[in-house]
Amino acid sequence: MSVQNTAQDEHFRAGKALGLDHLKLGMWLFVGSEVMFFGGLIAAFLHYKVNTPSPVETALLDVTLVGINTFILLTSSFTVVLGLARAQNDDRAGLMRFLGLTALLGTVFLAGQVYEFVALYQEGVTLSSSVFGSSFFTLTGFHGLHVLIGVGWALATLAKAVRGGYSRDDHIGVEIFGLYWHFVDIVWIVLFTIIYLI
Amino acid sequence: MEGSSSVTKKKSVRAYVLVFFALALITLIELLLSSMSLNLTRSLLNTLFVVFSLGKAVLVAAFYMHLRSDNRFYTYIFIIPVALLLVFALLVIIR
Repeated sequence: MSVQNTAQDEHFRAGKALGLDHLKLGMWLFVGSEVMFFGGLIAAFLHYKVNTPSPVETALLDVTLVGINTFILLTSSFTVVLGLARAQNDDRAGLMRFLGLTALLGTVFLAGQVYEFVALYQEGVTLSSSVFGSSFFTLTGFHGLHVLIGVGWALATLAKAVRGGYSRDDHIGVEIFGLYWHFVDIVWIVLFTIIYLI
Repeated sequence: MEGSSSVTKKKSVRAYVLVFFALALITLIELLLSSMSLNLTRSLLNTLFVVFSLGKAVLVAAFYMHLRSDNRFYTYIFIIPVALLLVFALLVIIR
């Protein structure tokens, strides 16, 4: 192996061969693919909303409850960036506090979503009851699954922090988790508008 | 050097707080608009909701996901699929 190749290999392992952090680049590419994933589901929902209007089922949606849930998810994005700021300040206790709060807020959001699903099922709106039910539960269900994965990721990040991980110079793990969580938040901002407000 | 880095971090936290209040305020306005019976046409309300939604998404992406200060390449990775999605949505709406 030539000297030049060895230098390139080391540069690659350091995560700087592209002039970009490789983990962050990978996460952004994943986020880009997720945009397409949710884009397909959103396009399907919009198609049915425009071509097969469901005023009765739409009237059953509890906009106030979901608005509060939206606020909870927005707050969880705020706690993630505050946690990252703490990690950048070498304040591990602060990081752990905000990661724990993020996981808690994510769980509360999920509880609100389960409550909404149960209420709709009791009203007869189910996954197979109508086109609205199918597109609504598929779209919001997949988002909820992403939140659930995010809560698990927040707890895993918290567990690493508890074991002494992350510092002023090594906090990329928190940043990568944050990118995922904020993306899930952005998806919800869009869903809240197209499902509940428009 | 250490001092200037600390000032930058304080400014970042201040920006995070301001963005949070802006997001909360926009959400509150959206809820009020959807629950109050104002003399606004449905199309005007829908336009307002879309503008508010885009505003919130841009705030989160720019400040919380650091696209405002990070390498521009990350922005392109994010924006290109979003632009495609908007084109698809537009096609559905005008069809």
